[in-house]
Amino acid sequence: MRIGIDVGGTFTDVVLIDDQRGKIHYTKTFTTPKNPAQGVLNGIEKILNIADASIADLDYMVHGHGTTIGTNALIERKGARTGLITTRGFRDVLEIARVERPDEGLYDFLVDLPEPLAPRYLRVEVDERVDARGGVVQPLDETSVVRAVNYLKTQNVETIAVCLLFSFLNSAHEKRVKEICREIFPEASVSLSSEICPEFREFERTSTTVINAYLQPIVERYLKNLTAMLNEKYGAVQVRIMQASGGAISAEAAREHAVNIVNSGPAGGAVAGAFIGGLIGDKYVMTVDMGGTSFDIGLVIDGVPRISSEGKFEGYPVKIPAVDVHALGAGGGSIAWVDAGGALNVGPQSASSDPGPACYGVGGELPTVTDANLVLGRLNPDYFLGGEIKLYPDRARAAIEKYVAQPLNMTLEHAAYGILRVVNANMAKGMAGSSIEKGFDPREFTLLAFGGAGALHACELAHELGMKKVVVPLYPGAFSAFGLVTSDIRHDYVQTIAKPAAALDVNALQRAYQEMETQARAALAQEKIAPNEIQVQWTADLRYAGQAYELNVPVIHNGNLTRKDIDATVARFHALHQQVYAYSSAKEGVDVINVRLIGIGQVPDVKLPKHKRTTQTARAALKNKRRVYFGERGFVNVPVYERDELKPGMTVKGPCIIEEIISTTVVIPGATAKLDAWGNIVIDL
Amino acid sequence: MPKQTKHADPVLIQVLRYAMEQIADEMGHTLIRTARSTVIKEIKDISCAVFDRNGNTIAQAHHAPMLLTGFELGMRQLRAQFRDEDLSDGDVIVFNDPYSGGQHVMDLVTFAPVFVEAKHSLRQREKSNSSAANASPLLVGFVGSMAHHADLGGAAPGGTQGGLTEIYQEGLRLPMVKLYKKGQEDAELFGILNNNIRVPDKTLGDIRAQASANFVGARRLREIFERYTPAVVQLHTDALLDYSEKRIRAGLEKIPDGTYTGVDYVDDDGLTGKPIKLQVNIHKDGDRAIVDFDGTDEQVPGNVNCPLATVHAAVYYALIAVVDPHVAPNSGCYRPFEVRARKGLVVNPQLPRACGARTQTSQKIAEAMLLALSQALPERVMAGSHGQITNCGFSGYHPETGKRFVYIDIQGGGAGARFCRDGRDGQDSHLARFLNTPVEAVELEFPARVECYELIPDTGGAGKFRGALGLRRDIRVLIDDMSFARYGDRQAFGAFGLFGGKEGAKGKFILNPDSPDERPLKSKGLDKLKKGDVVSLRLPGGGGYGAPSERDPQLILRDVRDGKVSIEQTRVEYGVVIEPETAREEL
Repeated sequence: MRIGIDVGGTFTDVVLIDDQRGKIHYTKTFTTPKNPAQGVLNGIEKILNIADASIADLDYMVHGHGTTIGTNALIERKGARTGLITTRGFRDVLEIARVERPDEGLYDFLVDLPEPLAPRYLRVEVDERVDARGGVVQPLDETSVVRAVNYLKTQNVETIAVCLLFSFLNSAHEKRVKEICREIFPEASVSLSSEICPEFREFERTSTTVINAYLQPIVERYLKNLTAMLNEKYGAVQVRIMQASGGAISAEAAREHAVNIVNSGPAGGAVAGAFIGGLIGDKYVMTVDMGGTSFDIGLVIDGVPRISSEGKFEGYPVKIPAVDVHALGAGGGSIAWVDAGGALNVGPQSASSDPGPACYGVGGELPTVTDANLVLGRLNPDYFLGGEIKLYPDRARAAIEKYVAQPLNMTLEHAAYGILRVVNANMAKGMAGSSIEKGFDPREFTLLAFGGAGALHACELAHELGMKKVVVPLYPGAFSAFGLVTSDIRHDYVQTIAKPAAALDVNALQRAYQEMETQARAALAQEKIAPNEIQVQWTADLRYAGQAYELNVPVIHNGNLTRKDIDATVARFHALHQQVYAYSSAKEGVDVINVRLIGIGQVPDVKLPKHKRTTQTARAALKNKRRVYFGERGFVNVPVYERDELKPGMTVKGPCIIEEIISTTVVIPGATAKLDAWGNIVIDL
Repeated sequence: MPKQTKHADPVLIQVLRYAMEQIADEMGHTLIRTARSTVIKEIKDISCAVFDRNGNTIAQAHHAPMLLTGFELGMRQLRAQFRDEDLSDGDVIVFNDPYSGGQHVMDLVTFAPVFVEAKHSLRQREKSNSSAANASPLLVGFVGSMAHHADLGGAAPGGTQGGLTEIYQEGLRLPMVKLYKKGQEDAELFGILNNNIRVPDKTLGDIRAQASANFVGARRLREIFERYTPAVVQLHTDALLDYSEKRIRAGLEKIPDGTYTGVDYVDDDGLTGKPIKLQVNIHKDGDRAIVDFDGTDEQVPGNVNCPLATVHAAVYYALIAVVDPHVAPNSGCYRPFEVRARKGLVVNPQLPRACGARTQTSQKIAEAMLLALSQALPERVMAGSHGQITNCGFSGYHPETGKRFVYIDIQGGGAGARFCRDGRDGQDSHLARFLNTPVEAVELEFPARVECYELIPDTGGAGKFRGALGLRRDIRVLIDDMSFARYGDRQAFGAFGLFGGKEGAKGKFILNPDSPDERPLKSKGLDKLKKGDVVSLRLPGGGGYGAPSERDPQLILRDVRDGKVSIEQTRVEYGVVIEPETAREEL
């Protein structure tokens, strides 16, 4: 038995997989922001009751979280008091950043880069220098280190980030700084850039290391508290923490790598997407998670969630391997407005849950996407969250009439439908950016939609991008939590090589990989993974000589690397470059910049209960009919089905609506929806 | 007033706008990812855009505004020179001539025409039995990319030497020619480029990266036209231009009518040592703004002459930023503006004047514009910024490869304070939106060591809100016979303060600081360096906003604590005496 818990901003979602009885249960409980661990315990208690299970049967639980732990500390600047130690002359690198102002500030004088998390007076310099070949130009002056650490001690910092130039090539100086910290200031936690992010570009590396330092005490406190509370109530429980990479690690290992585990909730959605894709035989899946305020897009490529290490976190660059989830500020709460030029815009302002969309009737007056869905008959005012929240169509109509229809001189329906089209266009742009820009054609992907609002928009989004298949999985409201349970354990390693592929010493490369592999196997053994459950992947980052950005390609080998294996890796790079950038040249020199190794501890497969297909028609699931607006066809009186009553094998034709407690699926005209053997809604467009 | 657009669907306008912005961004992404020179791949001195068939800019990527608005004149030239039938799918046209719509010689502009098969221009039911289905492809639009190159020949590596006197010294000057014909490189043209460039491996790779970006953009744009049909797309992009025009006009209406004048100075032209006056006179009348340069100096012998495309960019940039910074930026925005620059002024130079360092002038135009507009809209402007671009070209032969290298390092400085906030230390401003080059990227590639990169205390103009600090970057040369060509500015005239705010500190360049060999370097020039020499770039700070006496004491204390403003300066500028102990206390 395993449990996945996703702590979101409002709700904590819990999924329990009962492997022995072949059952899955899910529930929701309110997040407890002051002490999120309490919400986690509440959730466990609730799900154990529902599943009629005992904690004694639990193999492990996987914990993921969106914005609650870490992100909020970052947004509210409530992280730990952080000191930074740098090479002399470079303490301002963190503040100067790359000097580029944010995109939104292209013409707007009031848009600024975020403030550095370590203020200038807590950034101190030490005398040392390593050059671009890893050689020591100036040895580390230890008295300058002692002075720096003592100063930070008098300043009461809780945590220290260390980022010295070229430490990714030679980490000896950073390691020595850590030792000195341990000796004279053992209370402070220390984050070394050569351990957190051993890659070139000093600003991005410093930024990542500083965020790790800034969040580490918070993450550590939280995990300690959670473990203590769990132990007190249930005895020893194996807790794993989801990382942004889409793989989990033990709670003990997570303490050292805070930056890897913040904002890991969205990764759960992509992992679950890969799982469902595997189940139904789709290797290319785009996941979209639409809630009240955000729209998260993820990609599954060849069965694996796409990883990128160029993300930003609240405007701060974070260079760690992370599931490439692109978040847009678009959701059910996005506000529609008409600007001075007479154009209809939706967002980025959101009514969120307070004051909420106009139709909630709790103070919101401005029209939102949810209001538009309600006015167009797509949402059922009496069945929102299963009837828990009553919606007021009159208020939605009044808001759209006043703020959109009248200014644009449109009918109410046109205005409401316009809101949907604009927000859909914005989301489709994001989806195109997440796929096309990375070299993938969205038309080759299955769209997997979840979250409270995903299924309302999925068909139209797919249609916009020419996608042919939409899947609304089981438990669309707790899908990320489901992904947590299915995620493997994962440790990432990287070493910088920076040499032409043609001039590589095969033996040295072999040693680099083997060194990382030894580390990976040891780490996984510590997490009690049996050797036969360990899988190790070798990859490399390559680029044409002179380029600044690499492409990651697998290194296929049989344990003993040969020149042929390297040639094959280079050939893979040429092909990928052609695919992504419409250009490749076998004549040009290729450099190997980094070698990477992923150590994976495989968890047992989750077996979803599979049902026989029924021969019954969907009539049994038909609740009623209602008028729903579909663009050129206007209002159509369409059937409304209850998802819980639909059985595998049943087919319904669009236009129609499928309702469930947490979500509503709009099936557009011309589309056909059927329930597959596992209970997923599969829509062919 | 804009003409009424009939039958355009306001929703589809937005849909197409998003789609085309996405294309421009994707082009920029491709260019940066595949380029070879630091000036493109790290500094991102580039720009990408999408155009309709008439050459109007429809969408731009988030790049340097100087280059973005600067596409306009080039496009006009292209449409004058090439008829539809002169162009084919897969063509890429290149040019860099400042005297026919280009920027400076270092910026290569490329355009690719986009065609669709004639059948896509028809509605579905017309397709089956129409002979038009077999007609020749239809030109529906263009995509364009612009990039600053590491070297294009000429007297100085990287074209960065101040003080050149003729455009012929600044590098290879290309009229509009086809770089690719139907998808194939023009081997003759590539041969000419190869023979005239110091670092052909790099630059030809960068040019191919530009072509890649165009091909990627053209492919995406074609898909949009095929999907919606050319007529529908054109109808809606026309409406998008009208929409932006309407927003700008609405914004202009709110500004009181009148003439607003602003003046700033370029230090010198690198030769004569004389300051160059730039005066803008903004005549705001109803929903229009006419900008003339009466009072501005004549063209100069040195290379700070500013070609028209860049002048337009500076004027447009300042007006959009102040009038409506969130308008959809496209050609429609520019319709309510008119720029009048008499021939022969430094802002409308005539062949063969040199203009490689024109950025010093265009930045000052933007500054003068903001100073003028501050009279009408005090809360929409920024106090004076560093107002220059320090462009350094280090060149020599790499000891490990024996090959020629050109290392371009571009630096800005401190931005001005705003009515509600200090200048953000370290963040760039205005026309050039580039990135710095990481120290580790410099040293991995070039025989140089960066010895510091930091904020300089006491360089931000004092005020209720303080100007951003200037920057210092020291570069040690690790080989003999390295040439150091550069142009910078704001070393004689500091960034202006507003409404009682003080001027920002001026910049300077120093050779071998704090050593017996220390000597000042000219802001614009070329020197030979020997192994061990250190070049210290001290970049100017931004101006303050509002009287220093009104500054929040907490902000004063914070600056002292952070070592951004010294205790001495605090006493002089703010009249506040701080005990060293207080500064260290927790706030």
